[in-house]
Formats: sequence, structure tokens, C-alpha cells
Amino acid sequence: MTRRPLFSLLITGFLGTCLSACTQISSTFSEEETEVVFALGSREGFTSPLTAALKPACPAIEFSANSFSLNGSHKKRLHSLAADWPKTKPRYLVAGYAPPELSAGYSRSLSERRAQAVRQFLIENGVEAASLQTVGFGHDAVPSGPGNGVVVIYRQ
Amino acid sequence: MTVLRLLFLTALLASSQQSVTAAGLPSWLKLPGRARKAAVELPEHKLRLGEFTGGTGTSAQKSLLEELTLSREFQLTEESPHYTVSGSSVGGRVTGKLVRHADGKLLFERTYAAPGLDENLRLLADDVIFTVTGKPGLATSRLVFVSDRSGTKQIYSCDVKGRDVQQLTREPEGAVSPSLSPEGGAVAYTAYKAGFPVVQILDLGQGWERTVTDTPGSNFGAAFSPDGERLALVMSFLGNPEIFVTDLNTNTAGCISDTVGAPSGPAWHPGGKQVIFSDDRGRGPQLYVAEVPEKSGMQSRLFLWRTGYKFCTDPEFSPSGKQVAFTTRTGNQTSVVLKDYPQGSNTVIQADNARHPSWSPNGRYLCYCQYGSLYIHDLRTSQRKLVLSGYGTISEPRWMR
Repeated sequence: MTRRPLFSLLITGFLGTCLSACTQISSTFSEEETEVVFALGSREGFTSPLTAALKPACPAIEFSANSFSLNGSHKKRLHSLAADWPKTKPRYLVAGYAPPELSAGYSRSLSERRAQAVRQFLIENGVEAASLQTVGFGHDAVPSGPGNGVVVIYRQ
Repeated sequence: MTVLRLLFLTALLASSQQSVTAAGLPSWLKLPGRARKAAVELPEHKLRLGEFTGGTGTSAQKSLLEELTLSREFQLTEESPHYTVSGSSVGGRVTGKLVRHADGKLLFERTYAAPGLDENLRLLADDVIFTVTGKPGLATSRLVFVSDRSGTKQIYSCDVKGRDVQQLTREPEGAVSPSLSPEGGAVAYTAYKAGFPVVQILDLGQGWERTVTDTPGSNFGAAFSPDGERLALVMSFLGNPEIFVTDLNTNTAGCISDTVGAPSGPAWHPGGKQVIFSDDRGRGPQLYVAEVPEKSGMQSRLFLWRTGYKFCTDPEFSPSGKQVAFTTRTGNQTSVVLKDYPQGSNTVIQADNARHPSWSPNGRYLCYCQYGSLYIHDLRTSQRKLVLSGYGTISEPRWMR
């Protein structure tokens, strides 16, 4: 973060406005409200699945249509992942993907939003925010495994 | 809060209505007139194509006639013309001059010495169009698009007839989401640098490239402001994707979207004070208009712009700012739709999987892609032309603004 003093400033500056916004439009969401949104840490040291063969830490989390909220089975899977985390404290890259029939820009945003939802849940269940990084590939890259509307958690 | 926003929107719409109908009935009381076929209008300017002397003069005149006819900006006539274009051409080099008949004034006389005769005439045709109409011509304008023909997604550019295709990026992990600067001298795009999305600017004239944002999470969807000094883009380092406006001179950025959803596809109003984007707040992507704060720290207002569709992405303002083209989705089909701004009727321009519209600089054409091919649609005649196909899968076309 020292290399980007500007954005660390921004994070502190805009986190406040963002938090107040979350409460304003909470009524639109059927899912339970997240209280705190955690800004991302530095991407340094994380490897992308585009440049290396990475191992998924758990089976891919599949989303239906254009939803980005987690359902019960997603949470169950993430719960066990979060419970195992303190043993070795691995670092995870949470990568989102979207099916090709969605528009390119929207699919990037949607896949990033899904990855952030997964990351948020992991943080709330005890995984350190610094060990998590997200990326949304939209349909610019194809995930390894079944389905293309998925979030894959890669062990670093 | 939603109620407050609604009130804002109504206020915005009401104020715009008043300006349209200053007297008489309020516009919401008037019934819409029966749709009538508009009479074919001849272009207002009459132009005479004069003599071209010199060795390649005859072929120069022929090519110029073709360019000017295709532009549909003039009545090409010998009868009482307003302007005459004439000149000479030797060995591919072209000298053209434009004379206004009303006062006999020579408006310009220029020599074009680019390597090809056709290129020189395209430049001359655009100069004639710009001098007479004040609108940029299309003969020299270019489109950028993404194609996967090399195995990875890369950015290419071509002219309005699909000729002269150039590959602009050679990123090992791919490059997507291009936007051309207003003068067409630079392109902003998302490159997968080391496998992570980063927004870069490539100067097409000098060849340098520069990273604009390399924040954690994703960076994509860059769009140049009309003055070319700022970019609107999506960044997600806050913990969820948001639309930011970043100043390219000072490298500062401000958030304008105020969402916890999935925003995408920002595009500027030609005035440079508003940005329209698509945002999915849990019920499918809708279009929102955000005011761009002039100074940092200023609050910007945000409006939901109702289109009547439940799924809207990739909006883009027309060059006049009076219409917005966007992509909708019903079932498994996408369509390109045009809607008057701030309010008015929807017109489906092209159904059947057409997507990602972008306006021509003069606002008369839309380009979009359909089943991986690139089309240009004439909004006045409703005719469309296949510009490029079989060139990998083409997506995300953008016209030079």
C-alpha cells in the first residue's frame, strides 16, 4: 500500500461514504445486510490463474442467472473452508466468472461482485482480509471445471 | 431514500418538459400523434463537384464523388450550388479547394500528400464535410473492437467500411474493453497484466502506453470524457465494484456510483457533466445517471433512469446528448434499443442478439455487433451494412468520438 499512497487515501476517504450508502439502499436486497465492507489489500504476491495452473481450494461455487447473493449450500461450503483456514493460514485468490451470453462489461462487474460476496463471507467467518484477493474475469477467461457462472477459490 | 431519489428524478423530468413546451398544454396532457412516415428530406447543402486536373485527376474526381455520395451530407448538383469543390491530382497527391458561391470566398485550399490517392480523397471529403456542416466526417473516422481471432482477446481498429484492420494490442493474457479518446489519438483499455485486469492508455501516434489504474480487485470499462482529460471506469478495491471518475492529469479518482451492486459500462454525456451506467442492485441491471462533481469532495446526485426494460447494459449517449442507445435482454435474446433522453419512446434498432451499440461522431449511425460480426446501422434509412465478419468473434465495438 505504500506504493499507492493515493488509493490508501481514497480508501479511507470513500469507505465512509460507501458505508452510509449501503444502509440507504438496503431495502432492495433480499439477502441479509452486510455491516462492514472491507477494502482490498495489496495484490502483490498473488498469482493469477491465467498465468499459472492453480489448485482450487474447494469445488467451484455456482451462481444462477445474474444473482450475486450466497445461498445456504454456498455458505456451508465456505464455512468449512473458513473453519480450516486458521490451521495453515493459506492465501486465496477468489476469481469470478460469468457465462458468455451476458454483455461483456456487465459480466466482468457481476463476476467481480460475486467474488466480493464470497470474500466478504469468508472475512466474516474469520479469514484475514489480507489473505484474500478478488478478480472478476467476466467471460474473458474460462474457469477450470464445470459451469461458467462460478466463483473459484484458488489456493496461492 | 429511494423516495427522495424518485422525487429528484421527477423534478429533473419536469424541468426538462417545461423547456420543451413553453406554451400551451403541458406535454403530459397531449396525446402522442399518430406515427407518420417522415418525408424524405434532401440534404440542405448543395455541392458541385468541379473539375480535377492532372494525371490522376479523373480517378480522383470519381473517388471523391463516391465518398461524398456515401456521406449523404450534400445534394450533389450542377444547379445553383452553394459550394464547389475542385482541384488537381498528380501521382496520387491531391490538392483540393472549396469555394462558397454566396460571396465567392475560397474557404480552404489544401494539399494532401499521404501515400494513397484514396486516403488523400477521404481526408479531403472529411474536410469538405466539416467546413460546410461543422460536423466531423466519417471517411477518416475509425472504430475499435475486441476480437479473439489470435486465440486471446485483443483490440483491433478498422475504418467505417471494415478496411484497414490493425491490431493495436499484443497482450499475452489479452486486452478488452476499448475506448477511443475524442481525437482518436489514444485508446484506453483493460489489459490482463500478469493475469490481473489493469486499465491502460495506448497513444496511437507515438506508441507509448501507460498504466492508469492498477488497484487490487478489477479495473475495467474505461470511457474517455468528451474533453479527453478524464476517464470513467469501474474499480473494486473498496470491497465492491464502483464507478469512478479519474483525472488523467492529476491521477486522482472520485466515486460516483454509490452502490453495493454490480455497476458497469459507464459512458459520458457530451456535456461532460453526467455519466450514465448500468447497475445491478439485485434485480437485474438498470440504467443510472450520476452527476460528475466538478471539484473533489462535492456530492454528486444519482438518478435511476427508467427505460421500461428490466435488463439494460452498455448505455451510450448520442453526440447531441438527446438519445441513449443501450442493450436490453429478454429471455435469451439481446436487442439494441434507442431511447430519447431524458424521456421519450423506445425504438428497437435491432433485435436478434445485437448488442453493445456505439454512436458515430455525427450521430447518424450506430455500430453494434451481432453473432460476432460488426454492423453499421443508418438511423435515418434504417438500413444496415455488414462491416466486418469472419474476423474471429467481434465484441465491444466503439466508434471514435
